[in-house]
Amino acid sequence: MKNTSSAVYGFEDEGKVGEKHSRVNGGHGNVSKKKSTVVDGANTILLQRTLRSGQAVRYPGNVVIMGDVNPGAEVMAGGNIIVMGSLRGVAHAGAEGNEKAVVAAFRLKPTQLRIASHFTRAPDGDYPEPEYPEIAKIIDGMVIIENYHQGSNKAFNLEQSFR
Amino acid sequence: MGEVIVITSGKGGVGKTTTVANLGTGLALMGNKVVLVDTDIGLRNLDVVLGLENRIVYDIVDVVTGNCRLKQALIKDKRFETLFLLPAAQTKDKTAVSEEQMKELTNSLKEEFDYIIIDCPAGIEQGFKNAIAGAERAVVVTTPEVAAVRDADRIVGLLEANGLSEPKLIINRLRPLMVKKGDMMDIDDMIEILAIDLLGVIPEDEMIVVSTNRGEPVVLEKQARAGEAYRNIAKRITGEAVPLMNLDAEGFVSRLRRLFGVG
Repeated sequence: MKNTSSAVYGFEDEGKVGEKHSRVNGGHGNVSKKKSTVVDGANTILLQRTLRSGQAVRYPGNVVIMGDVNPGAEVMAGGNIIVMGSLRGVAHAGAEGNEKAVVAAFRLKPTQLRIASHFTRAPDGDYPEPEYPEIAKIIDGMVIIENYHQGSNKAFNLEQSFR
Repeated sequence: MGEVIVITSGKGGVGKTTTVANLGTGLALMGNKVVLVDTDIGLRNLDVVLGLENRIVYDIVDVVTGNCRLKQALIKDKRFETLFLLPAAQTKDKTAVSEEQMKELTNSLKEEFDYIIIDCPAGIEQGFKNAIAGAERAVVVTTPEVAAVRDADRIVGLLEANGLSEPKLIINRLRPLMVKKGDMMDIDDMIEILAIDLLGVIPEDEMIVVSTNRGEPVVLEKQARAGEAYRNIAKRITGEAVPLMNLDAEGFVSRLRRLFGVG
């Protein structure tokens, strides 16, 4: 597995976690006006287990996890991250700078969610637990979380390609 | 120049991390510039107890390996401008840092902060050696239990062998009723064995469970007895002489008296 940490931590600011991700109920994704091109099948790994605290997965392509990601665990992907379970740890999609990468989970409750160089955390205080699968992506320069509508190709920002 | 204080115990689970969080917050409450350093690499908890876990970007291993600057790794507390945390790494283990690196780190921190409080992991191996590497003062935490006192004694011996003479003692989770019944060691028994100066005594308090789970140090809770004990200890660290709290369970009349400031 390629270690992408040097590519990841190369931004100008102090590396502070600034933005808080916002949830949009029933929103729709960014629909590209261009003709939809085939989404590249970048290399993808599948993990069929739960990631426990202290475990980390780093991969330049997409990462799919059939299991949970516990607090204290980290997933760093150059591509998208899909967790078929509860995401409670740290997920970093688009770790090499791809702002079109997304993070999706059955239960999206990360301690920190990162897409490209956008680092976000949930707002302080109690807020309702997500009840449905959700997907996080960058829209207009901000990390937005939406309900994940099954079968909708609007969930993914089209024309992403990374090799 | 700041003071580097290590909070250690030997025994696990006696309250080191809770003590670091509360002492640090207590000192910051008094206006001091404080940094808390978590050296329990691989089993980090200080960030959780302070409620700062979702703000971690860089950690102590990133700093000592030069992956980031020290300033980038320091996390400012949610509540206090003068309180900072340097978190441990979770995905590494205690061999990731050396004693030399710890000394360099504490030397840099001394220039910026009044107090540098180091949270030591349980045990006597590399984690412990790293934690005491840059320390000038040591505080040993123990609970009033035979096993804990045994381990504390071992630790006092190791501290003295490493040049940290005259560590101070914190007795945590004392239950005055059990001590009265004779079921629990009392303060004098423990000091007789350990023969070090007492810094403070913290009574068993359910509020600790609530506060560590919520990430809100109990020292901020005016009603909690453990909070009051920690505030007193913070004052004693700065040199103020504060009498020990009366730990007997309060009766209604004595509570009334206390409220009205009488007796």
